[in-house]
Amino acid sequence: MKFTIIAEMNGDLLHPTTYQLIGAISEIGSESIVICPNGKGSSEASKIKGVEKIISVNGDCFDLFDGSAWASVINSVCEGTIVASASPNGREIGAIIAAKRGIPIIQDVVAISSEITVTRPIYSGKATETLKINGDSVITLRPNAFESAEVGNDAPISIVDQTSDVRVAVIEAINKASERLDVTEADIIISGGRGMGSIDNFSHLESMADTLGAAVGASRAVVDEWGMPHRMQVGQTGKTVSPSLYIAVGISGAIQHLAGMRSSKYIVAINKDPDAPIFTVADYGIVASWEEALPILKSELMKLS
Amino acid sequence: MRNMDYEALDFYEVDSLLSDEERMVRDMVRDWVDEEVIPNIENACREGIFPDEWRVALGEMGVLGAPLKGYDCPGLSYTAYGVICRELERGDSGLRSFASVQGSLAMYPIWDFGSEEQKMHYLPKMASGEWIGCFGLTEPDYGSNPGDMITKAEEMGDHYILNGAKMWITNGTIADLAVVWAKLDGVIRGFIVEKNDPGFSAPEMKGKHSLKASVTSELVFQDCKIPKDRILPGVKGLRGPFSCLNNARFGISWGAIGAAQACFYSAKDYALSRIQFDHPIASYQLVQNKLSWMLREITKAQLLAYHLGQKKDDGQWIPEHISLAKMNNVDIALEIARVARDIHGANGILDEYPVMRHMANLESVKTYEGTHDIHNLILGRHITGIQSFTREI
Amino acid sequence: MNIAVLLKQVPDTTAKITISNGKVDENSVSKWSMSPYDEYALESGLKMKEATGGNLIAITCGPERTKKMLTDAAAVGADTLIHISEDKVLDSTQVQNLLATVINNNEIEVVLCGKQAADTNSGSTGPGVAELLDAACVTMVSEVSFSGNSFISVRPSNTGTEKVSTSGISVFTFDKGLSELRRPNVRGIMMAKKKVIETIKPEELGLGGDSDRIILQTQNSPAEKEPGQIFEGVGEIPTIVSKLRNEANVI
Repeated sequence: MKFTIIAEMNGDLLHPTTYQLIGAISEIGSESIVICPNGKGSSEASKIKGVEKIISVNGDCFDLFDGSAWASVINSVCEGTIVASASPNGREIGAIIAAKRGIPIIQDVVAISSEITVTRPIYSGKATETLKINGDSVITLRPNAFESAEVGNDAPISIVDQTSDVRVAVIEAINKASERLDVTEADIIISGGRGMGSIDNFSHLESMADTLGAAVGASRAVVDEWGMPHRMQVGQTGKTVSPSLYIAVGISGAIQHLAGMRSSKYIVAINKDPDAPIFTVADYGIVASWEEALPILKSELMKLS
Repeated sequence: MRNMDYEALDFYEVDSLLSDEERMVRDMVRDWVDEEVIPNIENACREGIFPDEWRVALGEMGVLGAPLKGYDCPGLSYTAYGVICRELERGDSGLRSFASVQGSLAMYPIWDFGSEEQKMHYLPKMASGEWIGCFGLTEPDYGSNPGDMITKAEEMGDHYILNGAKMWITNGTIADLAVVWAKLDGVIRGFIVEKNDPGFSAPEMKGKHSLKASVTSELVFQDCKIPKDRILPGVKGLRGPFSCLNNARFGISWGAIGAAQACFYSAKDYALSRIQFDHPIASYQLVQNKLSWMLREITKAQLLAYHLGQKKDDGQWIPEHISLAKMNNVDIALEIARVARDIHGANGILDEYPVMRHMANLESVKTYEGTHDIHNLILGRHITGIQSFTREI
Repeated sequence: MNIAVLLKQVPDTTAKITISNGKVDENSVSKWSMSPYDEYALESGLKMKEATGGNLIAITCGPERTKKMLTDAAAVGADTLIHISEDKVLDSTQVQNLLATVINNNEIEVVLCGKQAADTNSGSTGPGVAELLDAACVTMVSEVSFSGNSFISVRPSNTGTEKVSTSGISVFTFDKGLSELRRPNVRGIMMAKKKVIETIKPEELGLGGDSDRIILQTQNSPAEKEPGQIFEGVGEIPTIVSKLRNEANVI
């Protein structure tokens, strides 16, 4: 079976997930053709193990992202099963190419085995399913679910000049001041309780939230006593949330607070009291002061991005 | 996006017997209560106010005067009316009281006993929630015995003069109109009093421990002058107010189930979360006994209410059928609220949890619309043929 | 203007999912709902219908139980209800072909749907259907309106949001919109009760049948999480972060 990978970009550089796409296909014993939109990243990509050849597609339409135009051009040089990152762009291009070719698409794959069977989460992660795919398809892979391929190759690069019409015209940029997410919308929440010491110390949580694209929540104690806005309150009389990750900092974990967050997928707790009830529901509990733990947590998170 | 956790106990799946329309009405009200009432009720209760936004929302949803047909009224089944009451009372009995008074006690008498002009004038605006109504029957000295009321109406040519006072009147202070029962030449008649009629005032009664998110008032008539066309022509005697009360009581028999369901849900959730002696208290036998008893009583109450709804919609009912359901369902709801509070331990006295609010509310619900004991005697009279309300037999 | 809204019925996001015999047990799903992002699409469609005096056509593909979702759409104002009746789970090409065929048969000028459905979280339907219709497509919009000859929509950009314009038949996939789906009222519910749902069988369109390209092997509960671990001090933070990224996939 042939595999064509659509490289994922991060500005002008290859996005790390591109290494994972190539690694994933290598794992099932295949080399792949890698398509680099607008030529970006082609020399870097040609050095990755598992790449048979690079096709660098150049065209005016690649100056800005346009799903339809990019898909049109990329489609013309694809063959076999097409692999992209399950990023917003990758999903859109993947879906369009699949429709053009009349082949099925499976999105957000977290595991692949040979020729080919894929596994993906369903119902927002409440279950997973494994599907056998007959014939060619388009698959998008979840970021960070696959091992990256290593460097040590010198694949040939060919250049294709092609462009396509863009049907979506940008008429106005609206640069909104970035509003922090509400606790009910966020996939990651960092909450603070009395252990934070004062309302001013919440700025540490806010900066962590900015790093993670998270929302900031609060326990009832800090809302009642320090006047944090009620919309941030998580708990029995506040909001009930079920994010993928809930980080509770300086929160003891009284039953009223747990009622609001215990169905979070993963819970990390930071509290200097080893007997704090929050540790009974935490997946990862850190017995330490927030002053000590937060800076380290922040620097580890920054290393990831 | 709605993402609410509440699960209404329905062990025998009685709701599967509802029509699609009744279920859609249920979901509409339940979602609204989840989104707009539950987050705000404790505050409304603390402040002792009935939020005006709820009046507007009930009007917009079109649930006021649910079983009445024509005149822009909803024209739903009685079962649907019951479902609406249940879903409202899951939120708060005071909220459901607003709707009961508006629909069954103020709109209904105009609909059944009013002139065509009165129906066309009042009903559409009451259905939309623009005008609020209330029901003046009970007096300071005449509760279970409304027949001996002393509020009087005198005919004076082109108008009536009313004198007297009513007490315990839900919505009184915020009402645009009151359906007042008074004696005209010794016969009980219904009169529509509007808020600006001279000699009429409706002071609020303060200091309640129950139904705090509801407005309870006195209605005071001091030579209150109302035009001749305000009398309800279609009824004389106690049949008038009792017809209204039958409808309200029907709604309450469903409503109480909502309060009980809310208390059960909170108790079950709490019992599964509260750890003591290293185990959730839900694992202890005495707690399971209490939850199991609650499930039993709620299930019985649901079947009672559902079947009563069928009889009401078929027209195959007598007032005693309603007495049974009102009496039973409110009684068990109050007991369930108390036991639920017990399961919540000390936490149960905080307004973090709804149970004690429901408990306090249900004390009123057990007393109003015919006390528990009065309904008991209504059934006793039905069984034996002998009334035992009074000393004279 | 004919406005099509593509709706998908999914297990309510609060419903428990149970597995039995290697498959999700659909019968144990306590509540089925309109997929949350589709609600935003429907609300936007209703606003557009009110602004342009158009006709809103709600379309879904699924088994008998999906009819209820269409009735709920009618209760808030959908004019025409089309149910493509199919019990089997179709692959993306089949679903998109069915939807595109129905859309083409109904002289639709704009198609609205959620950016992804809450069961598969895939997001393929909008762009795929657009491709089959040869329509412009804008994904992850928060609002759409019609002005003059074009559709104006707002979508995220690198620096915030941007307004974009398309003309001709267009498909818009919705992220969280400006307004929540409106509540029905009793009048809407009574009128919805009377609305006839047009049922189409895939065979009538020359489509349908089991997918021979995507074969379901098993469905499973997610891997058990490790029991919670408590660490003294800050030494394990790097390990924790790495587990959150690589094992839990939550950052």
